[in-house]
Amino acid sequence: MKKNTMILAALAVALTLTAGVGSAWAYFTTYAEARGSYTLDLGDKTTVSENFSDWTKHVSIASDADSEPVYIRVKAFCGSEYNLVYSDTTGKWTPGEDGYYYYSDIVKGGESTDILDIKIENVPEGMEDASSFNVVVIYESTPVRYREDGTPYADWSAKLNSSRVEGGV
Amino acid sequence: MDKVKKMITSPKVSVAAFVLAVGLLLFSSIGGARAALTYYSENYSTRVEMFDIGVTLQENGKSLSWRNYDTNASDGTWDESAGRLLSTMLPKGEDLKIGAKYTEELDVRNSGTINQYVRVNIYKYWVDADGNKLRNLSPDLIKLNLVNLKKDWILDEEASTPERTVLYYSKLLESGTVTPLFADSLIIDEMVATKVTQTRTEENGYTTITTTYDYDGVSFCVEAKVDAVQEHNAEDAIWSAWGRRVAVKNNVLKLK
Repeated sequence: MKKNTMILAALAVALTLTAGVGSAWAYFTTYAEARGSYTLDLGDKTTVSENFSDWTKHVSIASDADSEPVYIRVKAFCGSEYNLVYSDTTGKWTPGEDGYYYYSDIVKGGESTDILDIKIENVPEGMEDASSFNVVVIYESTPVRYREDGTPYADWSAKLNSSRVEGGV
Repeated sequence: MDKVKKMITSPKVSVAAFVLAVGLLLFSSIGGARAALTYYSENYSTRVEMFDIGVTLQENGKSLSWRNYDTNASDGTWDESAGRLLSTMLPKGEDLKIGAKYTEELDVRNSGTINQYVRVNIYKYWVDADGNKLRNLSPDLIKLNLVNLKKDWILDEEASTPERTVLYYSKLLESGTVTPLFADSLIIDEMVATKVTQTRTEENGYTTITTTYDYDGVSFCVEAKVDAVQEHNAEDAIWSAWGRRVAVKNNVLKLK
C-alpha cells in the first residue's frame, strides 16, 4: 500500500511538472505564399516576296503569325556594269553603312514590311529579256531585343549558343 | 501527535491528497481564466487584447497573399488568401519583353497583433506546358533583383540553391509594420533567346540541321513564401518551426 502511495505521489508531481509543456511547445506561426508565371514565345519565320516590273524589283518581307517580333534588313547584288537604286514610298527603309537597307519598324507576327523598290539602271537599250539579269536579293531578320529600360534594339551580331546536337549518323 | 502522524501517513489520506492535487491542477487554469475575465469585464469591457499572428506578402505596395489568425471569427479560424504573383507586371495586351526590367517590389507586412520574426523562401524555375519542372533550364536566367541584403535581409547561403533563395529579416517586425523591400525588379535574361538545340537528320544524301530554341514555349515561375513566428522565445520557436539555429539579441536576428 505504501508503494502505491509513493507511485501516486510521483504521478501527481509529474503531472504538475508537465502541465506547462504543452504551451511551451506550441509556437505561434503562420505563412503567406504566392506564385506567378509567364510563357515565352521564341522563334520566327519570315518569307520574302518579289515582283518585277519596269526593271524594278518590288520586295516585301512577311512574318508568320506565330513569330516573335523581328527587325529586317535587305541587300541586293548584281553585275558591276549595272547600278541599283533603292527607294520606297513610306521612308521606312534607310541605308546602312554596310550596304544593307534597314526597315525601321518592328515587324510583329502576321505583319509585313512596306515595299522596297530596287530599280536596275544602265540597262542597255533594246534589252527586253529580264531573265538575262541576275539580281539577287538577300534579307535577314533578327529577334527584337530590349534594354533594361524597355527600349527595343536589334543585335545583328548575335550568335546562337548550341550546346547539343541531337540525331544524325 | 502520533494520531496526526498516523492520519497523514494513512493510505486514505494519501489518495485523498492525490485526488485533490489532480483537481487543483485541472481547475487552476480555469480559475485564472475566470479571474481574468471577471477583471476585464468590470473595468475594460471593450478592451480585450488579442494575440493573433498574421503575415501578408505585399507586391508593389499592395496586399497579395496573407494568413491571419482571427479570434473574432465565430469558429476562431484563419483569414487567408493566396494571390497570383506577377499578374500586373505587364501592361494589358503587351507581350513579355526579354531583357527589359519590370518593377516587382516585394515586402512583408505584419498583419497580426503580435510582433514576429519573418523569413522568405523564393523559388525560381521553368516548367513545360504540362507544368513539369524543367531542371535542365537555368533558374539564373530569371533575374529577380534582391535588395537590402545584409542590412535588412540576411541571405541564408547554406539553405539557398540556384532554384531556392532563403532570406531572413534581421529585425523584429512589429505589429502593423512593413519590412524594407527584399526584391525590386525582374528581368528575363536575353540569353534565353540564344540557347538552342540543333537536330541533324539525313535523307536522300542531304543533311538537314534544324535549330529549336530551348526556352521556346516554356514558362518561367516565381514563388514567394513568407514564414512568420512569434517574438516570444524566438530562438527556440525558429528552431522548432523552421529548423534553423539563430541568435536573437536586442531584437536583432543573426544566423548561427
